Amino acid sequence: MGNKREIKSSLKRNSVEEETYVNNEVESDEDDELLNVINGEDEDSSDDEANDGSENELSSEEDAGGETDEDSDENDADSEENDQESEDDDEENDSDEENESGEDDEENKNSEDDEENKSSEDDEEASKFSECSIKKTESYNGVKKLKNKNKLVPSKKLPAVTKSDEYEEFDSSDEEDIRNTVGNIPMNWYDEYKHLGYDWDGNKIIRPETGDQLDAFLKRMEDPDFWRTVKDPQTGQNVVLSEEDINLIKRIKAQKIPDETFDEYAPWIEWFTSEVEQMPLRKFPEHKRSFLPSKHEARKVSKLVHALKMGWIKTMAEAEKLRAKKEPQFYMLWQTDDKAEEMRRIYNHISAPKRLLPGHAESYNPPPEYLFDEKELKQWNKLKNAPWKRKLHFIPEKYDSLRKVPAYPRFIKERFLRCLDLYLCPRAIKMKLNIEPESLVPKLPSPKDLQPFPTVLAIEYKGHTDMVRSISTDKTGQYLLSGSDDCTIKIWEVNTGRCLKTIKTDSVVRSVEWCPNAALSLVLVASGQEVMLINPNVGDFLVNSKTDAVLQEVPKSDVVVPDRVRTTIQWSEPDSEQHQRGVRLILKHFKDVSQVTWHGKGDYFATVMPDGQNRSVLISQISRRRSQLPFTKSKGLVQYVLFHPTKPFLFVATQRHVRIYDLVKQTLLKKLLTNSKWISCMAIHPLGDNLLVGTYDRKMLWFDLDLSTKPYQTLRLHGTAVRGVAFHKHYPLFASGSDDRSLIVSHGMVYNDLLQNPLIVPLKRLQDHEAFNDFGIFGVVFHPLQPWVFSSGADGTIKLYNN
Amino acid sequence: MQGSSEGQLQIRLITKQQIHAVPDVPLSVPQAIDTKSLNELVNQLLRESNPDQLKSVEFDFLAIGELLRVPLIEHLQERNVSTETTVEVEYIERTPAPEPKDSLLHDDWVCGIESSDKWILTGCYDNSVNIWTTHGKIVTSLKEHKNIVKAVSWIDKTDAGKGFISVSHDLTGIIWTYEAGTDSVTPKAILRGHERGIDTVGISPNSSRIATGGWDTNLKLWSTSLEDDGSEHIHKKSRSSNTVLTKTPLNTLKGHKEGISAVNWIDNYVVSTVSMDHTIKFWDAELCGIKNEIIGQKAYLSSSWSPLNNTLLASSADRHIRLYDPRSTEGSLCKTTFTSHTLWVSSVTWSNYDSNLFLSGGYDSAVKMWDTRSPKAPLYNLQGHQGQVLKVDWSNRKYMVSGGSDNSVHIFKNKHV
Repeated sequence: MGNKREIKSSLKRNSVEEETYVNNEVESDEDDELLNVINGEDEDSSDDEANDGSENELSSEEDAGGETDEDSDENDADSEENDQESEDDDEENDSDEENESGEDDEENKNSEDDEENKSSEDDEEASKFSECSIKKTESYNGVKKLKNKNKLVPSKKLPAVTKSDEYEEFDSSDEEDIRNTVGNIPMNWYDEYKHLGYDWDGNKIIRPETGDQLDAFLKRMEDPDFWRTVKDPQTGQNVVLSEEDINLIKRIKAQKIPDETFDEYAPWIEWFTSEVEQMPLRKFPEHKRSFLPSKHEARKVSKLVHALKMGWIKTMAEAEKLRAKKEPQFYMLWQTDDKAEEMRRIYNHISAPKRLLPGHAESYNPPPEYLFDEKELKQWNKLKNAPWKRKLHFIPEKYDSLRKVPAYPRFIKERFLRCLDLYLCPRAIKMKLNIEPESLVPKLPSPKDLQPFPTVLAIEYKGHTDMVRSISTDKTGQYLLSGSDDCTIKIWEVNTGRCLKTIKTDSVVRSVEWCPNAALSLVLVASGQEVMLINPNVGDFLVNSKTDAVLQEVPKSDVVVPDRVRTTIQWSEPDSEQHQRGVRLILKHFKDVSQVTWHGKGDYFATVMPDGQNRSVLISQISRRRSQLPFTKSKGLVQYVLFHPTKPFLFVATQRHVRIYDLVKQTLLKKLLTNSKWISCMAIHPLGDNLLVGTYDRKMLWFDLDLSTKPYQTLRLHGTAVRGVAFHKHYPLFASGSDDRSLIVSHGMVYNDLLQNPLIVPLKRLQDHEAFNDFGIFGVVFHPLQPWVFSSGADGTIKLYNN
Repeated sequence: MQGSSEGQLQIRLITKQQIHAVPDVPLSVPQAIDTKSLNELVNQLLRESNPDQLKSVEFDFLAIGELLRVPLIEHLQERNVSTETTVEVEYIERTPAPEPKDSLLHDDWVCGIESSDKWILTGCYDNSVNIWTTHGKIVTSLKEHKNIVKAVSWIDKTDAGKGFISVSHDLTGIIWTYEAGTDSVTPKAILRGHERGIDTVGISPNSSRIATGGWDTNLKLWSTSLEDDGSEHIHKKSRSSNTVLTKTPLNTLKGHKEGISAVNWIDNYVVSTVSMDHTIKFWDAELCGIKNEIIGQKAYLSSSWSPLNNTLLASSADRHIRLYDPRSTEGSLCKTTFTSHTLWVSSVTWSNYDSNLFLSGGYDSAVKMWDTRSPKAPLYNLQGHQGQVLKVDWSNRKYMVSGGSDNSVHIFKNKHV
């Protein structure tokens, strides 16, 4: 190969020379043809070829040693010529000139001039060319090769010869092809030409003359090697296949391994077995590292173990478990579905409200009812100056097809207006709380579980002709006392509704109360400026007579009544006619008495004169027939007073506040802030710790006296002023009556446990009274023993509700 | 009875009245058959079996122990009874409707009534005790009491000659003698001992004991004997020519917390009381102790004991009448609730001849005649009162008598005699 490179380089260097050579060759080819013609008809095409080749062959032979041909008699003449030529190449150019013809001479002279310049190189080149030619001859003429071999072996003068030997060993078909330099192209490209390609010298390889049918037949008949003669498409020469080639082909045809020497039945040697061999396969000992654990691997394993420990990687089982545990995971394509995507540019961006989708009227081909008729058009036009009043901001138009719709002239303007709207009306996030109304209502027990409480109207007590302002029951619940604006008090039998007694008074009865002392048959009646103690003469006649007897004897007292008291109140005995009616004592006050109330023991009672200024509250004692003015200063318009059921406390309600006084210590205990405009009435829980205040401004206030001076609960159950409130003595009930004619019964459980707040549950609204002069219910009283409630109304009736 | 589109029911007609017996065969009737059609059916069957019978009889029908008031299928469904099996329908002769007979006008409310065979005794809010004949003629009016007369009672209902008792809110009761037919009525003894008004009085079946109860919560037992039994000295009444005995109670039984509203003798030794304190108590009159107690929900207003079926009817301060069987040991003592009144039922009384019939009067001015087997609807509404009915009485089986706040006593004649 190194030689080849050399050749190429030399070719480059002497490109001009080569051309000249080519010219030479062409000319010489022509000469050859001429020679062939001269040589006669005997020579076949193969001979001609052989002639062509023989030039080189001979030259190579000459190279090998300049020895004479011995083998071919046929090519004598040619060989002689060739010999000469080869001599030209090999030997001095001068000698060439002498042997060759005149034309040749001229040519050679030109070449000589060139060659002379580079004479040193010429030697080498010559040798190389010879080498190439040797190879080529070998390829297409195996037989000759062998002969040549025999010839070449003895002569080892030139290195070129040894080289050719080398090539013989590695004979290959590739190198044969090299003879034709056109390369591996379809040979039919040269069909139109005379030549088949070019040889290494650049000479045309002339297509060998193909003999006619007769020649072919003769050849077949005569040539014993005809069967092994094949045509080389590259060169168009006939090649006689050698014996080896034939064998090769035969083996391939028989699908045997082409290499004859390969023994396919050679005994099998098991090199790598599981059995431990006595001797190592390799002759060097095992490396030390093959006996030591790999540090690299150890490092890798420790990393894996660490990762497993830390849970960075999972074992197969763990991963399987996790996968089984995990729900199928879905993820949001966007951050959320319901929230707008956060814009980094605008914090808390509120997207613009969407425009309404176009309706039918916006259609290019709206149904006819959407098109304006004349009236609508007129209306539309009329609102030119107030376009915002128009129902539509455009006139619906009808077109046959969409392509006939013209450009919308107001488009830009409307876009602008929209942008203006968005700009001028800043958007804000409105925080909205969705609270179920039910969740605001406190959890209260069902009224069903709070039985018994009055629910049904049972008995009506009819008889009064005017508003019944006040009612009261006796201690056993057998009788009911009522005082009315018709200047009478009546005593009723509770169970039947029978009016047992009617006692006339001189003035409107504002307040009545039955004496809580069972040993006294007395009722307190406030009528105008008088407060009367009346013996109703019902029930136990012994008690009645005893009461009379007690009141008969006037206790002697040497205490001087202060002027202030004397001017306020005068105790007097009733006249006989009054006595007949049952009146036992009369207390004449200096102002109208609006309310009376007994102390729990039934000896003291308090009277209220709202107009009395600092003398508006008076406490009187029956047994000593003495009155006291507990207050020296007026704290306001006194509305209502109450005694504490067990302690010596007095509750005084002015318009806005309730004050609690300790009567023994004569101090103000507490001042309850009602936060209302006008207190109307009060009731105290039988245990004395809770106070219920009704006000004219529709509220009821529940005060837990232990808890605070502010209302524990404010009940707004009534629509109008609350005029009467009452607690039941035994059942956890309270009731309130108001001007809206409704009596509301509520559950008011007070627990003994101080930590537990009272439980207040409105239970029942009873609305049977009729309105009269905008008044509804005045008095509310519970039956002392049964869960029944009485209400007295402005309509002159008293109603009993039972459970 | 064939060919109706809806389902058929198998019934068997039975009766305890032999004269009206029909062949005991199952019959197939339409499901929605009502009393009227059943009546026709039974009468037809009766005519078939007994051609002589011409007059058709009105029957009432009982299924599952209750009177049929709605179509049979509804009746059965209400009681969750299977309609697959043969239903036994018992029929009884229908209680004929009472006939209004008379109205006795008083000066004031009438709250105590008791009738004997010929006489009607009334107590009035004008403090008077009146005796009327059953034909509506007043015999006498006695104003001995100083307060409303709450209750009256014959000592022996069959013999008016034994006298009667009246109790009043003047804290006394008076034992009167009465010579039948004449107006010679004389107070013989005054019962003193109550501290509050006496509301009710009861005479023991053997007419020897009196029980009274009132607002002083005590039950007091008295003897009916007019002889001076040495309990108290005789207190002469000035205005009466006769001497009037003042009696004190033999026993005072304390236990009620509120007023006693009705007293009934169960036998000669046991008294039952109902009270406003929501209890019914049974007292042993001999041992003077509480035998039994029933605690109810409401304040009781009246009660009536029937010796025929040994049950107690009680009305409370609501719309219901309750039937108590004090001997029952299982379930609630209240066996049935009769609801038809719209207001308080002030008075109830058993019929003394039929264990199923009773009478009630309420503040809704209605007097109702009930059959215990029909708790939802009364047999008859006896109308006529204008105001509250305060007392009903059926001690004379012929007459149902009621008095009320319209100052009148209405007498209904019982045709079912």
